[in-house]
Amino acid sequence: MATLTKVSDACYEIAPEGGMRVPARVYATEDMLDAIASDKALQQAKNVAHMPGIVGASIAMPDIHWGYGFPIGGVAAFDTETGVISPGGVGYDINCGVRLMGSKLSRGDLDDRLPTLVDRLFSRVPTGVGASGALSVSKETVREVTEKGAQWAVQEGYGSAADVDKIEEHGRVSGANPGHVSDRAISRGTTQLGTLGSGNHFLEVGYVAEIYDEDAAQAMGLFEDQVTVIIHSGSRGFGYQVCDDYLDVMDQAMKRYGIALPDRQLACTPISSDEGQQYLGAMRSAINYAFANRQVMAHNTRRAFEETLETGPRHVGLYTIYEVAHNIAKFETHPVNGRDQEVCVHRKGATRAFGPGHPELPGAYQHIGQPVLIPGDMGRYSYVLTGTATAMQETFGSTCHGAGRRMSRRQAKKEARGRNIAQELEDRGIIVRGESKRTIDEEHSGAYKDVTNVVEACEQAGISKTVAQLRPMGVIKG
Amino acid sequence: MPDWLEEIDHTADLGYRVTAPSEALLFERAAVGLMRLLTDVAAVEPAEARTVTVTARDRTALLRTWLSELNFLHIHERVLFSAFEVSALTETELTATVRGEPYEASRHDLYTEIKAVTYHGLDVKQVDGTWEAQVIVDM
Repeated sequence: MATLTKVSDACYEIAPEGGMRVPARVYATEDMLDAIASDKALQQAKNVAHMPGIVGASIAMPDIHWGYGFPIGGVAAFDTETGVISPGGVGYDINCGVRLMGSKLSRGDLDDRLPTLVDRLFSRVPTGVGASGALSVSKETVREVTEKGAQWAVQEGYGSAADVDKIEEHGRVSGANPGHVSDRAISRGTTQLGTLGSGNHFLEVGYVAEIYDEDAAQAMGLFEDQVTVIIHSGSRGFGYQVCDDYLDVMDQAMKRYGIALPDRQLACTPISSDEGQQYLGAMRSAINYAFANRQVMAHNTRRAFEETLETGPRHVGLYTIYEVAHNIAKFETHPVNGRDQEVCVHRKGATRAFGPGHPELPGAYQHIGQPVLIPGDMGRYSYVLTGTATAMQETFGSTCHGAGRRMSRRQAKKEARGRNIAQELEDRGIIVRGESKRTIDEEHSGAYKDVTNVVEACEQAGISKTVAQLRPMGVIKG
Repeated sequence: MPDWLEEIDHTADLGYRVTAPSEALLFERAAVGLMRLLTDVAAVEPAEARTVTVTARDRTALLRTWLSELNFLHIHERVLFSAFEVSALTETELTATVRGEPYEASRHDLYTEIKAVTYHGLDVKQVDGTWEAQVIVDM
């Protein structure tokens, strides 16, 4: 294991060695370090520190785990002139993210209709392998989606402008260029808008179990026992294809720019290079596709609620609290060596967590900081946090993104053998519908670390503040 | 599980190691390894044949491109494959006949969706006359 120097109670640093240009910094408490060091995640954080133009530190969040190339739970910022852009630093699921919705309903309002609601959600929001069918659009429409993002969905009648206001980047990034997206990616995009996908993606109906920060909870409209919805999904096959295509482009081009790295999956080119600019145009197209995807699912979630409760939108009152991205690269201004500088921030399994007063935030959240949604596992709890001034100073305005896996999928499956995970959850009042038993087995609670430890470590480090705990009642999975 | 295939643990994703006496067979077996992550290959009839040709800049990239192509065809055309026969192979180009059938929910159990075949830990090499490869996929 690398030598970790304690910076504070919840922050450790690995000094630069070999080709590392900056230190690697891990946000975690002492008792989390053994688990973090048990796989190759720290080595991966060190590998990222080798990349040209990286500034500050290669940052690892408390939920860091072994990824491919970049660790999952990593943040890296690059100088816009000397730095690089890396598809692997964003990940395959470009703009994978989480939408949190609140409602006017209390837990008791769902009573015995919860199973029906979950069934309806399962039919309204297609899940699973290669899921398609929520709506089918032409290639031309996919190109329009890639330029307009969630705003396309609203224009087509899926939700309202009030949703868009509460999405990171207002649901649309500029600079998307579908001209740099392959025909394959566009084709894959024609059938997957409004679909959840498989793996760790889910849609969860839950309730507010505990509130820790009354002021922030009030600004978000959260109250105890309130029914909430979390949607975790991304850009589907469209984004996977964009990442895949550009990994090869950059793998091939890297030599020309004299870049050599310890892992081929870190393939990158200078931000200003043709390949870098083309990837940015394609990646932003995928970012907008994901915003539209979640907007369509949010709309279909509302319909499922209204159909189940046989009532109108006013009574259900499902509103968007906030939507965050946790696999993304963006240009933002952050302090580097005491001076504000524009940098290209890669967040792979890390969430933007802007502090109070940031001009990007909607008016309602100016005084509390950006809402951040941290999904846990399907049997325990999730958390609502806010971004802080410390995050702006130390982590390029970023915090954790989830629980982090404790077991490999194979191990999880093995542990679930002979058990009926769905039944175990139902006995505890949590209804789960999944496309396959295997996914449910691989995703059972025990396979994940306790997300409470993760958010507490972030709070201790000061990079986010815990607002509320949500507990699941109904979950649909791929 | 055949003795030439070994699943490997990776915290977030899945991977496997495959060995073969020849390079062509290694590529064929790697394809079987990929399909085994998706479904019970024994339940997939090799009813329809098609020719697949892929090119890449080196042997390692060729393996990734080959497997990515099969995954793309599986997702895009909703087909499953169970038999692979490499007919031409260089360091940068592969042509193969692949056999399979359309996915049918009543007969095929789909385990998962593979987002992509990664470069991470990807390796093709010959050790003491045996060809070996390691593949990690993103789930």
